[in-house]
Amino acid sequence: MTAPLLTASDLRAGYGGDDIVNGVSLSVVPGEIFTIIGPNGSGKSTLIKVLAGIVPVRKGTIALFGKDVTEFKAPQRIGEGMAYVPQEFNVFRNMTIAENLKLSTEFLGLRGRAGYLERQRVLDLFPDIASRQNLLAGNLSGGQRQMLAFACALISSPDILLLDEPSAGLSPKLVIEIFDKVKAVNALGTTVIMVEQNVAMALPYSDRALILVNGSVRYQSDATALRERGDLHELFLRES
Amino acid sequence: MGQLIINGLGTGLIIALPAMALSLTFGILRFPNFAIGAMLTMAAYMAWSFNTILGMSLILAAALTILLFPLVALICDRTVFKPLRTRGPVTLLVASMGLSFVLENICRLFYGNDARSFDIPLARPYRVMGLRINYELLVTAGVSISAMAMVYVILQHTSLGRAMRAVADNPNLAAARGIDAGWVIGATWCLSGMLIAASGVLIGMDRAIDPQLGWNYIIVCFAAAILGGLGSPVGAVIGALTLGIVGELATLIVDPNYRSAIAFLVVALVLLVRPTGLLGRREIVK
Amino acid sequence: MIGYLTTIMTLVSIAVLIAMALNVQWGMCGMVNFGLSGFVALGAYTTAILMLNGTGVFMAVAAAIVICSVMGALLSLISLRLSDDYLAIVTLGFGEVIRLITLNEDWLTGGALGLPGIPRPLVDYIGTDHYEKFYLAVCVLVVLLIFIGLELATRAPFGRALRAIRDDEVVAASLGKNVLLMRVKAFAIGGGITGIAGSLQAFQFSYIDPSQFSAIMTVYAFMAVIAGGRGSHSGLILGACSIMVLLEATRFLKDVVNILDNSQIAAIRLILIGGGLILLLIYRPQGLIREYRATAPAAPKNVPHDRKE
Repeated sequence: MTAPLLTASDLRAGYGGDDIVNGVSLSVVPGEIFTIIGPNGSGKSTLIKVLAGIVPVRKGTIALFGKDVTEFKAPQRIGEGMAYVPQEFNVFRNMTIAENLKLSTEFLGLRGRAGYLERQRVLDLFPDIASRQNLLAGNLSGGQRQMLAFACALISSPDILLLDEPSAGLSPKLVIEIFDKVKAVNALGTTVIMVEQNVAMALPYSDRALILVNGSVRYQSDATALRERGDLHELFLRES
Repeated sequence: MGQLIINGLGTGLIIALPAMALSLTFGILRFPNFAIGAMLTMAAYMAWSFNTILGMSLILAAALTILLFPLVALICDRTVFKPLRTRGPVTLLVASMGLSFVLENICRLFYGNDARSFDIPLARPYRVMGLRINYELLVTAGVSISAMAMVYVILQHTSLGRAMRAVADNPNLAAARGIDAGWVIGATWCLSGMLIAASGVLIGMDRAIDPQLGWNYIIVCFAAAILGGLGSPVGAVIGALTLGIVGELATLIVDPNYRSAIAFLVVALVLLVRPTGLLGRREIVK
Repeated sequence: MIGYLTTIMTLVSIAVLIAMALNVQWGMCGMVNFGLSGFVALGAYTTAILMLNGTGVFMAVAAAIVICSVMGALLSLISLRLSDDYLAIVTLGFGEVIRLITLNEDWLTGGALGLPGIPRPLVDYIGTDHYEKFYLAVCVLVVLLIFIGLELATRAPFGRALRAIRDDEVVAASLGKNVLLMRVKAFAIGGGITGIAGSLQAFQFSYIDPSQFSAIMTVYAFMAVIAGGRGSHSGLILGACSIMVLLEATRFLKDVVNILDNSQIAAIRLILIGGGLILLLIYRPQGLIREYRATAPAAPKNVPHDRKE
């Protein structure tokens, strides 16, 4: 087995009072699509925010390529090869597509020509948004917005991409399109961790899956093995 | 009537600067900074010290204040607001009230309660078509309009401006795009500090400098910022000009002492009819 | 010395009342009131004007309570659909309007000179010799009655619901319209208490003027509520008293440091009030007396944290 790209051990985090993420350990190997599923309110979204550096860790550690990044905030983790696409509100709606893209390079030390080249490289992947750069991002359709969010995240050439519910609020046809894009990005060498509510659609695209219930890991396995198990429903609902 | 509108514009142009500052910090930090009045007072005293005690020309004193006052704003942020950043807007606004007390009384401690004024020669007002136009009014207009233009250019056409708009719009996403919120917050306080400093000097030219100086403007500043929809600097300018003129015209029917009461009433009415302010966006409402 | 202590304790009682009003509005319900001094002034002037025009004590106080409650309800109604930031500004504006009216409407409020000669209740029976002590007893009694009333209300479903609204926006949302009504009620109750405080203040010196109702009153109430632990009425009394003692102590500063004049001493006191408020918020958001609060039933489980988004 290859050395893990990202390892988290015994993570605890939350807002205000009690911990929402309750001692989660996981490790993700290079090149895979690792999907976190679980019932509503299980802490999936908080977990991925912790991994991204948005929500601070209370206990436990996160390592990227063996380097401890637990204390790094989101902007610093980008420098370590991580990118994160939040759920739904993932573009700046009051800015144009061009401004959104520009903003994604400006603070990575990619100014002027270097930034332009990076933007062109990513736009080649997303021809749909490349053609209408002066449009306000707030006026984009759900699918296009998701594409723009991907594009902005990929500008930093991340080794690992964190996606929070990429299919949220999209029609089934668009969901397939989005997951195809995830697969394409993955095929180019980017490891993906995603949180998904839409288990049936997400599992076929995943290599491995983790079930989170009440903030702790309920089950972890190969995605195909999980699909073949009939008791998924029970895994979700059984109280620990 | 025409004279009243001109005077109103003058007042509006003065209020526009702190109202913009208020909107900027609200946009980024999501709490209304009640210390803005005391900050105006302190800036006015700072300029007065350079001008009268150190004998600098007012222009030099003003420039130095605009340069140094951002430091005061930064110190306030680091000592008071930064430790409370995660505690929610209500805690922050209560803290800003406390800060307001501290700043105002630091001024009182060092300068006493006596009214001071800048060391500037009295100039005769110009007369244009029967209207009196003060030299101060022209200076105010010049300073205020260039400050507004500067803020607009920074917000719309620089990477700092993009970062500020990004953090105001969605702080988590901004962090995910590599924008260091701490840096943006610092820059926002500096920019606000400069606006407050400029306005403090303009107010000091307009009236006597005493520890209550800022207190007289706080309601009007808030009223202007709310009228424009808290968080929108352009809206704040429009709100300020509107209130300036309305306040001046209202003196035709009510006692001039009630100027800030009028500003308050205008805002209360606007809030009843349009909770987001005249130009506000929906997301400001809970 | 006894006379001085009696006066101080009477003033502390009135300050405790104002802080209690804030505790209902802000401590229990999360609604900021920056216009407290305006409310107290409204209560005081209502009582004073009625008393000077020959109304009975009972009517004068009742009128102050009613007017302040109605004003509280109205202000919270204006900002009902808005976030708490706006309520802060609306109340601040209200306080300023009241201040301007007391300063400028000489025919009604006596302007900057104020209203002298407010008749003190029962003075003919008690006599002037022991009146101060009697009046202190009255104030303490009022504080006790309101304290008991609030404690009961806090334990009643109404109080639980208020705290639920403050602490959990999901609960708040699911309660829907009731929340709005309860917020208005809480603000009206707080308003009524400030009305009583105002009446007591009017009788205390039998003289009122606008300078008695400055913003210091408001900031002091915030300090007391934070020091006592938000939402806890008993903690609040201890908090308010300990802060008052500390602040009174600074009055003697000028005996020690004689390079400062009176206005500088006053400025230092105000710096201490403002700075103390900030320090409490940063280091003691759960109140000064932690052990006490652990047993207080009104104590919220967690320190209120960021509830935005």
